[in-house]
Amino acid sequence: MSTYSTDRRSLLKIFGAIGATCAYPFASDELYGQTTTATPLPETAQHFFNKSDFAVISRLADLIVPETDSPGAIRAGVPEYIDMVIGRNTDQQLVVADGLHWLAAKNFMQLDEAAQYAVLEPLCQSADAGDLRARNVQFFALIKSLTADGYYTSQTGLIQELHYHGNTARARYPTCPEH
Amino acid sequence: MVLENKLYDVVVIGSGAGGGALSARLAHLGADVLVLEGGPKIDTRTDFNTHALPYEFPSRHIPIMKPGKPGFDGERSRGLGGKTQLWNAVALRLSQRDFKGRQHDGAGQDWPLDYAEMAPYYDRIEREVGVCGNYDHLEDLPDGIFLPPVPMKCTDVAIRDGARTLGVPVIHVRKATLSRPTATRPACHFCGNCMSGCDVVAKYNSLDVHMRPALKTGKLTLQSNSIVYELAVSSEARVHEVRYFDRETRGQNVARGKVTVVACACAQSVALLQMSKSSRFPAGLANSSGELGKNFIPHITAGFEAFLTPFIGKPSINEEGFLDHAYVPSFMHSKKRDYPRSFGVQFNYQNQRSVGWAKSVKGMGKSYKDAIKARYPAYLTFTGYQEMLPNPDSYIDLDPAATDEYGLPSARRHWKLSDEDMRLYDDMKKWCRAILEASKAEVIHPDPAPTTNHEIGGCRMGADPKTSVVNEYCRAHDVPNLYVVDASVFPSSSEKNPTLTIMALATRTADHIASRLQKGEA
Repeated sequence: MSTYSTDRRSLLKIFGAIGATCAYPFASDELYGQTTTATPLPETAQHFFNKSDFAVISRLADLIVPETDSPGAIRAGVPEYIDMVIGRNTDQQLVVADGLHWLAAKNFMQLDEAAQYAVLEPLCQSADAGDLRARNVQFFALIKSLTADGYYTSQTGLIQELHYHGNTARARYPTCPEH
Repeated sequence: MVLENKLYDVVVIGSGAGGGALSARLAHLGADVLVLEGGPKIDTRTDFNTHALPYEFPSRHIPIMKPGKPGFDGERSRGLGGKTQLWNAVALRLSQRDFKGRQHDGAGQDWPLDYAEMAPYYDRIEREVGVCGNYDHLEDLPDGIFLPPVPMKCTDVAIRDGARTLGVPVIHVRKATLSRPTATRPACHFCGNCMSGCDVVAKYNSLDVHMRPALKTGKLTLQSNSIVYELAVSSEARVHEVRYFDRETRGQNVARGKVTVVACACAQSVALLQMSKSSRFPAGLANSSGELGKNFIPHITAGFEAFLTPFIGKPSINEEGFLDHAYVPSFMHSKKRDYPRSFGVQFNYQNQRSVGWAKSVKGMGKSYKDAIKARYPAYLTFTGYQEMLPNPDSYIDLDPAATDEYGLPSARRHWKLSDEDMRLYDDMKKWCRAILEASKAEVIHPDPAPTTNHEIGGCRMGADPKTSVVNEYCRAHDVPNLYVVDASVFPSSSEKNPTLTIMALATRTADHIASRLQKGEA
């Protein structure tokens, strides 16, 4: 585990691709004009993960955004989204391979839900604190980022969960209390 | 190489804010104008993915153009209308203090013209493009000719009330987006997708508002897919050939005009002049001063994201509007401070279909999901824009190692903040945080690093040919039939969005060129 570089540049290679497409897309009022458009991913995703790895990725996404009174990550198609993104990013593939290996050593898939949370929570806390030195934290942070992006850009996440009401035509813009 | 015989009065390179406003004005004044645009033809009504949502694409990335529609694929090949197709349309006048900042604080460079000379051109441009806004009677942000303002969002009102406790003004945004229909354009319908291309042209773009109507004069020719790579000069130091690649055939072509106008959005204008080396101009065209590329002064921004706590857990409502509806105008000029110049704040310009902030919310599981849902109506962006002063480490040059598909070098931007720029930046961050806190906002990342936006400078305008590239009419000191009309000519940036000033200046230059053509001087 000691040979991995965690300097800003290599972390950017892992996390940068997410930021470029989903995070904070309106960072500036001419961003699109001044930046060469990233080539969009082809719309036919290859199946990257094998069945057992896909099951682990699905379980992680489900733990991060579970089904509640609204559908969770699995019903929103998040595992397929993660499969497609990671299938096209070799830096991310290395992080994920190490992460899956680490979880396998913990018999992650055989644990009950509470125990699975217990395995992930320290990683989540480090990731939330921005401490990405450990390889398993990088792995968790990547899966959490992709789960959030995949879920909240899905129809389930954006419309059903968040009740996005935009993209409509209105005759006039209401004065505040009228909303 | 195909030699075109036609000699136009004016060849304009670029069809965005500067090129569009200038070419339309010249055509109306009777000049024979050719506009060369690097990108393809655009049909604003049908070509953009204006109303798409992310889940329509497996990658969740909404492409700018609809399938099969080319455009906006590179810095040299955007499309007719240029960046005005995708801008956010904030339209602010510079003030007398912005034109003559050096007289106030001894820093930077003054413009060789002042507000009174620019005011009639601002008037004209505002009438042509349609700007909504409120008459606020501010010294540092002159009022213009306004359509009625659009009401503020509830979240804007929260910021306004918070800022008021600190004595900081919050006004209605001023935008080149129609709040009332005109004879040819509908009013905004508040879908919230302004920066994805406004398919009804309620938001100004130079193609539909300036150039298309000017086609009726019969004097304007729009030629797309023409990537200009060199301006060749004659022995009399006049531009006599505009050399370009045909984007579709990759063949090389030539256009000729009595006058040539460069309007390629700042860095690309500088790059074109830098690529146009000759024995007469070995350091780049119109660069006898050595100032070409120098004095690069983009806006420096501090981008915050925050949650307004009074809105956390409230029902999700449609607040989209036309992105930002309010603005914090510059207010530091009247305050004691240890740096020159000032800043303004653009805020609440996010689009509610983008939830990229969700990944920064702490935790996982049901509590995480609930926290995002609760914060969705409370999220806002809040970005300070500061004026930067010129310094020797901030400039534009060519990167010979990074070439595009035509073998042309990339424009490379270098910028570094001086100590006084940093003092302003730190104070701007402090004020941004204070306004957010006074508005009961929870700041997500309290210490953003400086970034740039709005490229400005590189072809500085000035009275002295030894220290500037163009004169007050945007005419190159060294090359009498060459003009530059974009933000590269601004001697100082102010903290205000540059586009309205680009258009006003381009109109002034158009009048100047037309008058010279009439007198046979061009």
